[in-house]
Parts: sequence; structure tokens; C-alpha cells
Amino acid sequence: MNRKFVRGVGAALAGMLLLAACRAPANSGAPTAAGGSAAPIKLILGAYTTPREAYGELLPLFAAQWLAQTGQTVTFEESYLGSSAQSRAVVEGFEADVVALSLETDVTRIVNAGLITHDWKAAPYDGIVSDSVVAFAVRAGNPKNVQDWADLGQAGLEILTPNPQTSGGAMWNILALYGAALRGQVAGVAANDDAAAQAFLEAVLRNVTVLDKGARESIVNYESGVGDVAITYENEVLTGQQAGQDYELVIPTSSILIQNPAAVVDTYVDKHGTRAVAEAFVAFLATTEAQRIFAKHGLRSPDPVVQGETAGQYPAVADQFDINFFGGWAEATPKYFDAEHGLYYAAIAAAQGQ
Amino acid sequence: MSQSQLAAPPDGAGTRWGRRLLIGVVWAYAALLVVAPVAALLAGAFREGLGAIVAALAQPEVLASFTLTLRIALVAVVVHGVFGSMVAWVLVRHRFRGRAWLNALIDLPFAVSAVVVGYMLLLVFGRTGLLGPLLASWNIQVAFAVPGLVLATLFVTLPFMIRELMPVIEAFGPEQGQAAATLGASEWQTFWWVTFPALRWGFVYGLGLTLARALGEFGAVLVVGGGIQGRTDTATIFIFHALEERQYVGAYSVALVLGLVSLVLVTSIDVVRRRVK
Amino acid sequence: MSVATALPPAPRPARAGAPAAHWGRWGLRGTALAYLAVLLLIPLAVIFRDGLREGLGGLWDAVRAPAAWSALTLTLWTAAVMAVINAVMGTLTAYVQERFTFPGQSVLNALIDLPLAIPTLVTGVMLVVLYGPQTAIGSWVQEVFGLRIIFAPPGIILALLFVTYPFVVRAVQPVLAGLDHDEEEAAATLGAGARLIFWRVTLPALAVPIATGTLLSFARAIGEFGAIAIVAGNIPFKSQTAAVYVLGAVESENRLAASAVSIVMLAIAFTLVRVVDWLQHRRPERAE
Repeated sequence: MNRKFVRGVGAALAGMLLLAACRAPANSGAPTAAGGSAAPIKLILGAYTTPREAYGELLPLFAAQWLAQTGQTVTFEESYLGSSAQSRAVVEGFEADVVALSLETDVTRIVNAGLITHDWKAAPYDGIVSDSVVAFAVRAGNPKNVQDWADLGQAGLEILTPNPQTSGGAMWNILALYGAALRGQVAGVAANDDAAAQAFLEAVLRNVTVLDKGARESIVNYESGVGDVAITYENEVLTGQQAGQDYELVIPTSSILIQNPAAVVDTYVDKHGTRAVAEAFVAFLATTEAQRIFAKHGLRSPDPVVQGETAGQYPAVADQFDINFFGGWAEATPKYFDAEHGLYYAAIAAAQGQ
Repeated sequence: MSQSQLAAPPDGAGTRWGRRLLIGVVWAYAALLVVAPVAALLAGAFREGLGAIVAALAQPEVLASFTLTLRIALVAVVVHGVFGSMVAWVLVRHRFRGRAWLNALIDLPFAVSAVVVGYMLLLVFGRTGLLGPLLASWNIQVAFAVPGLVLATLFVTLPFMIRELMPVIEAFGPEQGQAAATLGASEWQTFWWVTFPALRWGFVYGLGLTLARALGEFGAVLVVGGGIQGRTDTATIFIFHALEERQYVGAYSVALVLGLVSLVLVTSIDVVRRRVK
Repeated sequence: MSVATALPPAPRPARAGAPAAHWGRWGLRGTALAYLAVLLLIPLAVIFRDGLREGLGGLWDAVRAPAAWSALTLTLWTAAVMAVINAVMGTLTAYVQERFTFPGQSVLNALIDLPLAIPTLVTGVMLVVLYGPQTAIGSWVQEVFGLRIIFAPPGIILALLFVTYPFVVRAVQPVLAGLDHDEEEAAATLGAGARLIFWRVTLPALAVPIATGTLLSFARAIGEFGAIAIVAGNIPFKSQTAAVYVLGAVESENRLAASAVSIVMLAIAFTLVRVVDWLQHRRPERAE
């Protein structure tokens, strides 16, 4: 190739890269070595869609506390996406310092990518910062009389639930259904019968009208008048009610305890020099004060003190189980959600007559 | 040339009603398809009055997202203006192997899905992508940062400038270029001092269309950018988040602004095109 | 909307005594090609490499996976139905705009451009708000016709019609406006009614722009994401289009599926674009 040609190519590439680099935001990161008032620091939070309002209150509170403690100003950059989408984004290069996701398996993905290297489960409550349960949102007055799982299979009912491929909430929903069925808590479905549970899931999936990308999008869609029932996080319903929506919350007899983890992302905090703040923030989330704020925004708490305080707000589920019923996410994810062999995907295909 | 003797055909009244029917059908279609959704948008935005719209638009988040969108659009305009004109020139004036294929590929971004665009860019610039490790070693962030948004926008707006310029360059012809060459000018000089000014209308149209398209891009910037509030949320991403936060007036107001600006751009181009002819 | 233009053979200027031009020529071409490489060719190459990493067989298997195949067929048939409706209504709209005068004509003209200006996300939201199952119209259609609009294929077609509204109209309008009236006038003087003139004289002359506009709207429709993600329902095997399928595959780390289906979508788009280019290229030059 001609030398001039190569020069032209080189100039073009350099120019474009320069242009791109100019746009990269200046990342102020490292606080000065000695304590005391240091340069302002930015913490990047990657969260799932649902706890948006809770973090809206938690972040300023933490910032105020950190300022009082260390004299350093911390600002936050937040991203709220479907839990799986968020987890993937972090793996693909979204440099979140802290992740707060819907389910453990999304944190595991980040661990497997080598970005989280510490034992995040060693934190209080096994790294869980908030809980919820799978519940239903129904129209005011519950016109379709949806009281429990079995009612979801009735013909002509329109159900909203998010897409498990992108939404953590959707995965909780599906597992709650399976669990309830396998535990014999669904009228008409035999206990411990895999085939019966699968058939029940198919029946319910046949009634699903829309699969939204995230739990929040799903409930917002429900709010615009679509569908009769939305299977969702209890806290989504409560937050919606707090925002003035007039739907009702129905907690089924049997439901799964949703446990939402949060963790520091080692690679990025070391890169940004934000480890101290990040660790303090995650520790803050486990404090009773923060837990009370979660509870204020519709989330249950792993903190026994707060549990006691909010017992009236958050009635116990008659038959509550958790992910361990399925042998943990390590077993549940491949069994139910593997793209080729997962039982959920088999069910959705069967529901459409495939 | 929109009126001809055919407007008053010999049949008289029968065809007049036939004409009315056709016009009616066209209007009904336009009403159902376009007018209704836009009216719904206006209604949604004005639901709480003009004051609420102004207040929503004045939010720092909104202004920041507009600024980001404009910055990205401007980069697209400049990059495509400079390099796109070169491509247009080379495609019209040069002959080389593969030219026809390259010419066809340029139209591809019209038809490529936003998701595919975002995914392709992640495959190249993501942390685990082709250039990922290289970019990481230079500490340049592309995916989930503004450069990624810029690249996504550059991809989807690629054809506009080139396609607007090519016919103008063709029509311009090589004579003036040849004259300049015989006077000793290099091809670069000819390009910048003779050709460029003559192509200005092509540039204007290309600029306008690039801008309009860049303002409305959503899918690709969502996949590549991650929708990080305060960093990669463009105006369209803001709308996406606002809807999730139940901030309907804010969402619709921003949509309205985007729509108005794009509409002005596109109709101006139409109007100018007809006048210039 | 600009479409692929014909490439007449560019005449080579005599450059016998201008060696300085050589540098510029190569530098220009190199720069242009580098720009295209970075923005266009490398991303395309990467996705092809990713989709073909298990060979053509692997790609075909991924495409033939039931969910993927279902998504592709849904995408194609809804786009095809939309294209047919668009061809008819687009031509009609262009005809009415160019040949008749009526009040509000300039408003209609602006309306035609409007879909290009609205972000697709917003389009989707508005269509749900207007025609969703919770609305008067939506529930009425469901009762009377047993057909669901939104969250079902008709909703997809509706959204596609919206975003491609200008394509056929704007392709046909200029040709119609510039049409030589001699033949039509001759037919009129021979006693042919307006309808006959339209079918036998006007329409054949519009065949090419109608075809290119239709094909472009078809190509555009295959890739549509923003509006569809809101309007379609996204249920695999029922209302999930190829673009939404790719997003799901990307998000669930099914990269091969994502790349494979993307490649198919790209190939279809590319073919359509080539056909449009060919159609325009072979248009017989009119005597100016």
C-alpha cells in the first residue's frame, strides 16, 4: 500500500480517536492520601429498577453522613436497569463502584467476570440489603377476585409479568410460582409433581399479555390500564400506591422471599480510588437506619429490629420459602432459565402451542 | 406542478365525489395513524398546563440530557460533514474494486435495527470486545460512556450526509476540478476551495437530516450507553426513565420538544429543497 | 428521504502532468475508507465473525431455534403486510397531495414528515395509550372483531405503519409531480376517464418509486425496535419480533443466537438495499 494512503488512514483514525477521547468524562476519583477534607468523590451505583425511590432517599443521607464523618463530598451517579441487564452492563464495561441488584445470580455473574474478588456474602445478612415477596397487583376492588396462585390460571385473565431474560423480578416471579406449586400450595396442583407444576406454569403463561423489560416497566404498564393482574414485587405495588395509584396488593398464601444483594465491585473501586467510600456505603445500607428507609419505601428488611417495627406493615406470608428451596441460584438458574433447556422456556413455548 | 387539467376531468360531478372519497380516505388514514398519537402526546404533555411543562423542562436533569444529545448530534454532524463528504467524493469520482459494494453498504444503517447496532458496538468496544483490552490499557472508556453514544449515533446517521452529497457532486461535474488541476492544484486543494463551496446545499440537507436522526436515536444508545443518569442519558433515554418514574408530564414535554425540533428541521429541508430547485 | 443513487461511470480527468494530485488522491481515499472501516466495516465484520464462530451450520441451527425462527417469521410477515398497506396508502396520499387541491393540504404535508421527528419510544407509548386493550377503541375492536390490536401483531403493523409513513409518499411525490403530462392528456382527449388514466398511464410510471419506497419501508420495519418493544407484547412465539429477540438473547448471554439473528436481519436489509439500488439504476433515463 501507498505510504500516503497509510498516512491518510492513520490521520483519520487518530482524529476519530482523539474526538472520542475528548468526550470521555474527566473521572475525578482518588481522595488525597491523608484523611481530612479531600477532593470531592463520585460513586457510581448500578441498581435494578425497583428501589429507585429508596435510593433517592438513601443516597443524600449517606452523602450527608460521609461529609460529617470525613469532610469529603460524595456525589452519586445512578443507573437503574433490569437486574440482569444491569449485571451484564457491568460485565461489559459499565464501571459501577457499587451494584445493588435484584438477585444473587446477577452478582455472581460479576464475580465470575473477575470484577468482584472479595467475599461479598461475608457482609451482614449475607450481603442482602433488602427483601420483598412476590405478590399480585389487582385493580381496585379486585373485580376478577384474584386471591391466590390458582386464580391466575383462569381463562380470559390478562396477566403482566416481566421478561426473565432481562428482568430479575421476572425470575423471582417464575420461581415463586414453581415453588408454590411444588409445595402443594396451589389448589388443583399436586405437590412435588414437576409435570403438574409445569402444566400450571403453562396455563398462567398463556394468560400473559406483555413481557416488559423490567419490573418497573411492567408495573407502569399495568398502571396505564393494561391487564387484570400484575405479578410483581410487593414493594413495587407499595411504591406505586405511595405514588397515588389505586391498585390493591394481594399476597398469595405461598410466596418466595426475594432477597436483594448489594456489593462493592473491586476492580472498579480500585481503578477509581473509591474503595473507602464504596465500602462505607455498602456497610451503611446494612445499618438499621438505612433499613428503616428501605422499609419506608415498601421493602422488607433482613434486620430483625426493623422487622419487628414493621410487622404490621408487612404481614408474614403463610408459606414463605426462599431460593434454598431450589438448592440456591446455582441450581435454579440452569434448571429453569437456561436459554436452551430451561423449564421456563419450555413452558412459554408450550403455552404458545409449540 | 401539482395542478393539471386532470383536476377537472370531463366526467364532472361523479368524479368530484370520487375525489372527495379519496381525499377522505387519505385524511382518515392520516388521522388514525399520525394525528391521533400526536394529539395524545400533546394532551399528555399539557395535562397539567403550560406551567408544568416549563417546570419539567427546566429540571437540571432535562437540561443536561438535552445538552448531551446536542453535543452528540454536533459531533455527528461535524464528523459526517468532514469524512462523509470525502466518502461521497471518493465514491463518485474514484474507481476501485469493491466500490459498488461499499456504496450499497452505506445504505445499511437505514435498515439496521438499533439493538443490532448497540450489540455490534459492544462486540467491538465493550470490555470483553475486540478493542476492549486495548481501550482499557489506554484508559479510554467507550461502552457505557459518551464515546459509545457518539459511535452509535455516528453509525445510524452515516448515510445521510453521503447520500445528500453524492448527487450534488455528480451534478457538479469534474470540469471545474479539472480546471483547478491544470492550474496546479492538488486534489485536496481542489476539494476544499472549489468543490466544497459548490456543494453547500447538499451539506445543508445532510446536516439537517443527520441532526434530526441523531436527536431521536434511542435503542442503540440504550444498549451501548446503559442509560446512566447524569452520564449517558440522552434526551430519549431521559424520556424512557421519566416514564418509569411516572413523571409523565416531563416525559411528554421532552418528547414534544424533540419532536418539534426534528419536525422543523425536516420540513425546513423540504421547503428549502423546493425553493432551491 | 434520500435513497441509493445510481453511479454513472465517473469520467477520469486527464492528469498527465500532475503528479502532486497522486498524494491527494490516495490520502483522500485512505481517509474515506478508514472512516468507513471504523464506523461500518469493523462492526459488521465483528458480528459476522461472532455469528459464524461455530460455522455456517452453527449459525443455521441458532436461526432455526424455534423462538428465533418464530421471531423472524413474525417480523417478516408483519413487515410485509405493513409494506402492502403502505404501498397503497402511500401512493394514494401522494396522488391526492399532488393532483388535487383541498383545504389543509400543507398541514397534511407536514403530517407526512411527522413520524420521522417523533422518537420511536414515544410512538410506542402513544399507541398503547390510544389503542391499548384498556381503551374504548381497543376493547371495541376486541369485542366486535375478536382482534387485539396492541400487544398483538396488528399493533406491530400499526407501529410500523406509523414509522414508515413518509417512505412511499416521499418517494412517489416528486416523480408524480415531475411526470410528463403528455400521455395523460392524450388519453384524456381520447375520452379516457380519470380512473382509467390513473391505472393505465400514471400508475405504471410510478412503479419504480412505489417499489423503492415500499422496499425501503420494509427494510426499515425489520429493524424497528423502540416502538415495537412497547407495543408488541414481546411474548416469545406470539408477539416477539427479531429485534426484541436479539435484545433478549444479548441480555441472557445467548451470544450466538444474538449474532446469528442479527446477521440474518443484516443480510435481509442489505439485499433489500441492493434491490432498491438496482431498481433506481435501471430506470430508463428520461430525455431532459
